[in-house]
Amino acid sequence: MSQRILFNLLQVLVVLVFAPLVGGVINRLKEIVQSKRGPSIFQPYRDLWKLFHKDEVVSEESSWVFRVTPYIAFVTPIFVTMLIPVLTSYPLFFAFMADMVGGGFVLALGGFFKALAAVDTANPYGPMGASRTRMVGFLAEPVFIIVFFTVAFVAGSTIPYIVQKHWMSPPANFLEPSHVLLMAAFVMLILAEAGRIPVDNPSGHFELAMIDESKMLEYSGKGAALMKWGGQMKLFVLLCIFLNVLVTPWGLAEKQALGQVLLAIPLVLFKIFIFVLVLVVIESSLAKLRLFRISEFLGSAFITSVAAMIMRLFAL
Amino acid sequence: MNVIVLLALPVVAAILCCLPWRRVAAIVTLASSLAVLVGSVQVARHVVNTGPVVAIPKWIAVDGLSALVLLLIAFVGVTAAFFSWGYLSANSHAPKRLRLYYANYNLFIFSMLAIPVLVEPTLVWIVVELTTLCSALLVCFENTREALEAAWKYVVLSLMGAAVALLGFLVLFAAMQAAGGGNYTWDGLIAAAPKMPTVLLQTAFVLILVGLGTKVGLVPMHTWLPDAHSQAPSPVCALLSGVETTAVLYVILRLLPVLKAAPAAHAEVWAMVFGLISVGVAAFLLLQVRDYKRMFAFSTVEHMGIILLAAGLGTSSARYGALYQALTHTLTKSFCFFAAGVSLLAVGTREIASVRGLIRTSPVAGASLLFGGLAIAGAPPFAVFLSEFSIFKAGLAEGRYLAMGLLVFFVAVGFFGILLHVNRMVFGTSNVDTQPPVRLPASCLAALSVTGALVIALGLYLPLPLHKLLQLGATALER
Amino acid sequence: MNDPLQTLSVLDSLNSLVGGLFLLTAFGIVATRQANGILTLFIAQSLLLAASALALGLRYDSWHLYGVALVNVIAKPVLIPWIIRRTVHEEIHTRREIDQVLNIPTSLLIALALVILAYFLTIPLQRAVAMEFRGPNVPIGFAGLFLGAYTLAVRREAVPLLIGLLAMENGAFFAGISLARTLPLLVELAIATDGLIIVFITAVLIRAVHQHIGTTEVGALTRLKEHLTEDMPEEVAR
Repeated sequence: MSQRILFNLLQVLVVLVFAPLVGGVINRLKEIVQSKRGPSIFQPYRDLWKLFHKDEVVSEESSWVFRVTPYIAFVTPIFVTMLIPVLTSYPLFFAFMADMVGGGFVLALGGFFKALAAVDTANPYGPMGASRTRMVGFLAEPVFIIVFFTVAFVAGSTIPYIVQKHWMSPPANFLEPSHVLLMAAFVMLILAEAGRIPVDNPSGHFELAMIDESKMLEYSGKGAALMKWGGQMKLFVLLCIFLNVLVTPWGLAEKQALGQVLLAIPLVLFKIFIFVLVLVVIESSLAKLRLFRISEFLGSAFITSVAAMIMRLFAL
Repeated sequence: MNVIVLLALPVVAAILCCLPWRRVAAIVTLASSLAVLVGSVQVARHVVNTGPVVAIPKWIAVDGLSALVLLLIAFVGVTAAFFSWGYLSANSHAPKRLRLYYANYNLFIFSMLAIPVLVEPTLVWIVVELTTLCSALLVCFENTREALEAAWKYVVLSLMGAAVALLGFLVLFAAMQAAGGGNYTWDGLIAAAPKMPTVLLQTAFVLILVGLGTKVGLVPMHTWLPDAHSQAPSPVCALLSGVETTAVLYVILRLLPVLKAAPAAHAEVWAMVFGLISVGVAAFLLLQVRDYKRMFAFSTVEHMGIILLAAGLGTSSARYGALYQALTHTLTKSFCFFAAGVSLLAVGTREIASVRGLIRTSPVAGASLLFGGLAIAGAPPFAVFLSEFSIFKAGLAEGRYLAMGLLVFFVAVGFFGILLHVNRMVFGTSNVDTQPPVRLPASCLAALSVTGALVIALGLYLPLPLHKLLQLGATALER
Repeated sequence: MNDPLQTLSVLDSLNSLVGGLFLLTAFGIVATRQANGILTLFIAQSLLLAASALALGLRYDSWHLYGVALVNVIAKPVLIPWIIRRTVHEEIHTRREIDQVLNIPTSLLIALALVILAYFLTIPLQRAVAMEFRGPNVPIGFAGLFLGAYTLAVRREAVPLLIGLLAMENGAFFAGISLARTLPLLVELAIATDGLIIVFITAVLIRAVHQHIGTTEVGALTRLKEHLTEDMPEEVAR
């Protein structure tokens, strides 16, 4: 009992601690690809430290939404962490509190408040970014729904732990066409939701072209730190769902032993690192899409997921 | 052995056409097409007197229906070759282009000759695709923008149809396997037909009908036909309209006896409906053409529809009528396109509105165009009248009053359309009165007169060997 | 006894996987703008066709299919792009198609509807054949055929149209390797050579069109119609 509480805490701790590292590694690798040296991979930690020690400037005209949002943006990924398999392949305490659809809703809650906060301050770039994020969001919604439905058809459930078991055991299951197509659709979803190229440039400075970043423009000090950290945790959580459930359901702790759980940490980090390599290749070789072409991009993701569903439904 | 030599001749001729001396290409082509004609007559006589000719069992064989189509191809091959000689020398072309023309011509003839002779359906499909490819460069020979457009549409639409037909043939093969195997030949298909699952047969038939129907020019897949058959040089048009569409229609007709075993497939209904729609649409489209070669091309669509309709009627006399129609149509259509070619040489334009009083400008061109128009529209005493009449009789005997009524109406509309245009062109006051008459090349006139004589002769009398050949063909469609 | 059974089911799954990816490439051919991209997708599609033939050959122990796989690996991914690159002008490859007849998301949705149609149409077909001929190949092959035909309908540039044609044949073949497994090898070789000739002739045509009108937007070739356009020249046979 107490072990399980310990494992749950360990899960949350892993996400908290290693999420900025993922961002740092991505930035360093992108710079190396461009033949530069790049910042240290621990730079995001230094940024967070710096931001926590700065004063906060809050507009007088903003409402409670603006003040509350950083906390919500910080807490919602942690909440989702407790629902998904990060280190263990057996369900922990809160696993049955919500399934993947519920997890999606919780992440969307964070996004909702971020969008509201962006509009709250009357900064001209905020509402622009917020409306663009909403556009990307509603284009990505059908893809999410179809992906979850197909997963439910295939594995018989939407709880991540049970879904993961389905793809672990007979190897033939792993090669199912619906599985591969779902993976492809989900990658495109991650690129859209986490605001990476080709949907949005995360390191861009030009406010007129920002989609995701412009919502954080008004924040400073503690609020900015929480928002940044929350964003990094959201990416980490999405990657955990993707890798631990869909792509490589192996390598997680099978038994309730502390040693196995601790062993799972570097394995999970290794899996995320491999995916980061792929992500860096994608980001370095593609250009940001024009805004109205994003609907084509997400349309292809939609088609892929529906094709996965069709292949599953009509398989003889 | 004869048949294989027959097939090899055009290929050898095509290779020889690449030799760099003047006139070699033309002479080689003429010689090889004459030899092919002699060979096909021999084969046909053998089939009529003795029985089917089997060259390589399971791959190459010639029965009654094949012999008929073979004969038609060979005959138009010769006349078109003669016509090409004169036609191409009237316009000046670079020798290299002439060599290319003749080489392509021979390859085209080869691919068409192979269609009735091969008995394995997938090989037949390959050869049908080959006809498209070999004739693509012939269609755009004039090298104008319109010719390129026509060639492009031709290639794209035909290849699209071919891909659909490929799937049809593969499904047919699957049906054959489900019936227990056996040789995948036309005869083998008919033998295994009763045991094939109906769904597979139906699907295969629809796919092949739509796919190969694109090449035949059935409506609504006919959109490439008026363009390609009008932009190509006239002898090539004669080949395309006269023989190629008939040869591909032959492939579709070969499937009909196979589908008799699956009455639920309603193959005959499909054939009749497609046929009637083609005849109707072509007849009405004939009324508003602006180019006389396009007019003849639409007439091809119409006649293909008539042949398909007749084959779909179902009785043996209707099938006889269909094959008779194929024979007469080939001869008459090649005559029409020769006439069109001669007229083009005489007045220099394809537009109907610009041509007036052709009979005064060039009596030969005018007369042949008039005769051609009358013949293809179905007027007596030309050949097409007899064949259409026999189809009509067969249809009435079957009791298909509606179909026959519609057929007569559409043919009448087509008749009216063709004669309207031809009348305007041939009679009336000429508007190019101070031009010296163009000397028409002798070989063109020769080809024209030979074909014309046959058209009139067949309108009066059908010689017994031909009649027997047609009967053999009809039985081949029946088994 | 578990091992051979497991291998068979792994092969079946592999075949289904290849089928799913084949479908994806067919969608890509409908939606990609750039000629180079479409060529790459076509190469991928041919390789997937070869992979499926290989998987089915291993599964049903049929050497005909190995031959098909080999022919496909040699002819289509290697020779066809080579022929296209040699015959068609260099400039064409980086050309992007700015507009299609319908915009891309709508095209993709229609393509999806066509795929569902293909699946529906092949349900009675699958029921009519013996158990061992069923599988994902037939519906995906039909879908590939329809999607290729749809590409031909909405695209206006020449190289995508050519690839659409070849994709149609790929689709027909994909269904065929499952249905007509023991087709004589000679026939399959002939079909492969046929593909090469198609590409050659069409590439020559494309080059001629490019020389004549300066672009390869063959959708703009619309002069041959019944109504007279003002600048319709009279063909003068000199």
